[in-house]
Amino acid sequence: MIRNLQVAPDHYLLELRLPAEFPCPEPGQFMMVRLRGRDEPFLSRPFSVHNFRMHRGSVSLEILYRVVGKGTLLFSRQSKGTILGILGPLGRPFRISSICPTVVLLSGGIGVAPLAYLAHRCRGRNAGGKRTSIIVYAGARNAQSIVGIKHFEAVDLRICTDDGSRGFHGPVTALFERDLCSYDPEKTMIYACGPPAMIGSLARILEATSFSCQVSMEERMACGVGACLGCVTAVKDNGGRIRYERVCREGPVFDIRDLAGLKTDPC
Amino acid sequence: MNASGTFGFGEEFAPFVDLNELGALVVKGLSWEPRQGNPPPRIIETVGGMLNAIGLENPGARAFIEEKLPFLRQYDVAVIANIFGETLDEYPRVAEALSRAGGIKAIEVNISCPNVKKGGIAFGADPDIAAEVTRQVKTATDMPVIVKLTPNVADITDVARSVEAAGADAVSLINTLTGMAIDVESRTPQIQNVTGGLSGPAIRPVALRMVWQTVKRVSIPVIGVGGIMRAEDALEFLIAGAKAVQIGTANFVNPQITLEVIAGIEGYLIRHRMDDIRDLIGSLIEPDSLEHPHEP
Repeated sequence: MIRNLQVAPDHYLLELRLPAEFPCPEPGQFMMVRLRGRDEPFLSRPFSVHNFRMHRGSVSLEILYRVVGKGTLLFSRQSKGTILGILGPLGRPFRISSICPTVVLLSGGIGVAPLAYLAHRCRGRNAGGKRTSIIVYAGARNAQSIVGIKHFEAVDLRICTDDGSRGFHGPVTALFERDLCSYDPEKTMIYACGPPAMIGSLARILEATSFSCQVSMEERMACGVGACLGCVTAVKDNGGRIRYERVCREGPVFDIRDLAGLKTDPC
Repeated sequence: MNASGTFGFGEEFAPFVDLNELGALVVKGLSWEPRQGNPPPRIIETVGGMLNAIGLENPGARAFIEEKLPFLRQYDVAVIANIFGETLDEYPRVAEALSRAGGIKAIEVNISCPNVKKGGIAFGADPDIAAEVTRQVKTATDMPVIVKLTPNVADITDVARSVEAAGADAVSLINTLTGMAIDVESRTPQIQNVTGGLSGPAIRPVALRMVWQTVKRVSIPVIGVGGIMRAEDALEFLIAGAKAVQIGTANFVNPQITLEVIAGIEGYLIRHRMDDIRDLIGSLIEPDSLEHPHEP
């Protein structure tokens, strides 16, 4: 552990130095991280990659996390020098389109974590014969709890807060819906990560459109490698039949149109 | 070997473990029809353990034979198929299909899953029904039949003796202990199924005690399972009389734990100058007072 900084109430930025041979993750992939030598908590916790850098033979990984339970609370109390167990990169990454020059990112709260790394990797790319332009809708409860936006360089950043203390007053999905007609479904790829209600609203907004949208999902995990079957989420096939897929293996990135049982109440 | 349901169908762990090095590989529980399993959330970590209510999600015996078994046949490891039935008839049907498939060395019969409405624990909690399942499976296969027992009974040794009399070649114990956890803020159960099976280091002393008691009452091999996290935990079970051990939840924490435990057992035998693991199995030195109370 190189640093473990509190960046907002309950939010921390953890930076780890990894062995030089550690494989470079793709945006959307995650790591299983654990505190070693403890019987409580003893399971690893899944974290998406917020940033990953390789320079001069040194590899560093940034994890942006929110304290939600015992595991993350204990992580937040660790300091520089702590040796953590880490397994990864795991899961299917975001697909980066080679034909869509417009990339729209929607984040709710801590959902910003994987999208920042995605934006970093999309920046400066060409797609469909044009330089990629990135529009980020970053939502938070209030101005104080906006985190993870420092990696959004050279993007069109549109901040939304639930209480209106900064940026647009309302959910990211409301601002995005207002802007929807300015995007071309053929040339735009949408990526989202956030609370269930946000993903539910987004699914409803996109239902009657032909936009492609990839969503990074979160579930409790024990193993992270597909064995425990603890992290499933409901998906529907073409015939509308519901089945479960593992967030760790078939996900964590899913096509929003495949997700079933999403919450549809307004967020 | 690993415990069923904690190692997938082997392929999930092949990047971390040379499967050839395992004593045996036990696959996720198989039913005849595919099973979707329970709705999420399915797991929650508790003190020194985890609760799960997966609900025996599996692709079904036929899909396993076609899609999963060919991968396992590439390895020189004894594959044990764990089987499950909602009805008494389903067990022999699954056992027979798997026996004919080729590439499987033994059948482990799950009569101890706490997370399904039909079958599972309902069969394993009654010594007579447990014996009937065992007889039916024995009729359907020539392979060794291991019966996996539930700890959620008054006396596990009664069930062990009953399945032994019905022809079981070995018993494995314990499956998970039924448990529950509540989120007090929302006053909702932590897992959707409300109750789940507790596994992990928290259950090890219970598992060890049950293995020790069962070894004394049956003559077939007992396989010890329950919260083994490191080599010394496995050694406890062997000393108590288990002929082999299974590692479950620890695979979730460290995917290489099976091989580390094997190496640790070998290291122990060398340190204690034992040439044969059989010198260790059942070597518990019990206080005399337990067998022969002191005369006043």
